[in-house]
Amino acid sequence: MLAIFFGTCFVTGLLSHYQYQPWAWLPEPASPVWLYRVTQGTHVITGIATLPLVLVKLWSVYPNLFRWPAVTSLKHAAERLSVFVLVASALVQLTTGFLNVLNWYAWPWDFVAVHRFLAYVLIGSILLHVGLKLPDIRYGLQARLPQADVLTETPWDQNPLAHSNAGEVPPPPTPALTRRGVLVAAGAGVGAVVVTSIGQTVAPLEPVGLLAVRQWNKGPQRVPVNTTAQQAGVQAVAVDQRWTLQVNGRTPFTVTLAELDDLARSEADLPITCVEGWSVGAHWRGIPLLDLVARAGGDAGSRVEVISLQQGSQFARSTVLGPQVSAALLATHLNGERLNLDHGYPLRLIAPNRAGVLNTKWLARIEVV
Amino acid sequence: MKAWRISFAASGILLGLFGVFRLLTEVPVGNLVVLAGWMIGAVVIHDGILSPAVIAVGWFIGRAVPARGRRYVQGGLIAGGLITAVAIPLILRAGQEPPSKAILQQSFGGNLTILLGLVAAASLVLYALRVARDTRNTRSAKTAAGAEPSPERL
Repeated sequence: MLAIFFGTCFVTGLLSHYQYQPWAWLPEPASPVWLYRVTQGTHVITGIATLPLVLVKLWSVYPNLFRWPAVTSLKHAAERLSVFVLVASALVQLTTGFLNVLNWYAWPWDFVAVHRFLAYVLIGSILLHVGLKLPDIRYGLQARLPQADVLTETPWDQNPLAHSNAGEVPPPPTPALTRRGVLVAAGAGVGAVVVTSIGQTVAPLEPVGLLAVRQWNKGPQRVPVNTTAQQAGVQAVAVDQRWTLQVNGRTPFTVTLAELDDLARSEADLPITCVEGWSVGAHWRGIPLLDLVARAGGDAGSRVEVISLQQGSQFARSTVLGPQVSAALLATHLNGERLNLDHGYPLRLIAPNRAGVLNTKWLARIEVV
Repeated sequence: MKAWRISFAASGILLGLFGVFRLLTEVPVGNLVVLAGWMIGAVVIHDGILSPAVIAVGWFIGRAVPARGRRYVQGGLIAGGLITAVAIPLILRAGQEPPSKAILQQSFGGNLTILLGLVAAASLVLYALRVARDTRNTRSAKTAAGAEPSPERL
């Protein structure tokens, strides 16, 4: 179960990384529009569910920590070291991932890089652990519960203390919760966490979102914001009456907001999906990116750079490639209203199957390459 | 089996070393030291504080709670404890970001109380069902014993 959860986090995590650094010859598809919404929502909710699950798993193997002698051979020492790496990287990976969702940056390092590299270490140590424990895993999955004794450090068939080697041994009387009872209680706890958290991604469950980090209906225009205009330092420049959009290409030009409003006839229902797992469907109105790209002398095969008024952030610009060039919208309106300043007034990018932070806000310039 | 074990272990070692290599070459040394501190700290906090505390609670339950109700107390504490572990960071962090981000705008302390109340109620209901079943079994055993006395039951 844990292997499935960690594997899911790893695969969806790599997909998310690809959103940020795609290869030019294999751009992100533009459909289905909800693809990233599903993969990243899965990434975050699986990570949140794995946190309590790991605590239960570690509790069940805690007695092994005190086996004596602590180290019997060099091989044994190496195995225990690999278990330390596994436990430490799992705890740190899950904790920092969750705190990052809360915008609680309690560490000095670049989260994205360390989260990715530590994932390689974590998944590597899980694979190593599975390789070492494969006989136990196979035995554990085959054996009936009362006979099974899989919590040993030596493979069961070499372990004289294993129940299974002593023949039919009745399970010890437990005047307390049984193994199955522990699993039911832990399942109930993890299930409650999932149901009350996932409302930030799955709209019908929002009313029971007692532990939901984000509530989309509390954001301006019923969409949450990840970086506010104030945090981006653009409150003044974004509302400047003299704002124009500069479009550079073979035939460069500039347009004013009034001219853009006249052109803004296209509408689209596209979700906005944050790397932190929340997402919400929204209705957008604006100008197809391709219209302005074509006017600047480009076409659907162009590589397009969109650049924000924001200064000094790695997300102040992003690249639109491949199918997304034809599918992207330069939005002036959101959910029937003029784009809120925190949502990127006067003009922002919105494209299908695209990480929220790459839908650049407060646009200043477009480069058609 | 052996081929599977070797391929799992070898791919694991390679992937892990690749991760370590990327960490060592791309993350500044100062940050790596802090990261090592986090990893050791996480294990120390878990193995040195959290787990012994859970053992202490278990020991206390073993002494203080009668056998029939024990498993319901334990089950409720497991479910409630896991929910609390996730809720604590939310409580600590609530209300610290601008409102338009729509992040952590709830009263998570109150919400946690509701959830723990539901867990306690569920445990109580299961316990009540157990008591009712025991009572019924005792009564039917008595009736059976009255109609047809058997030496085992006396």
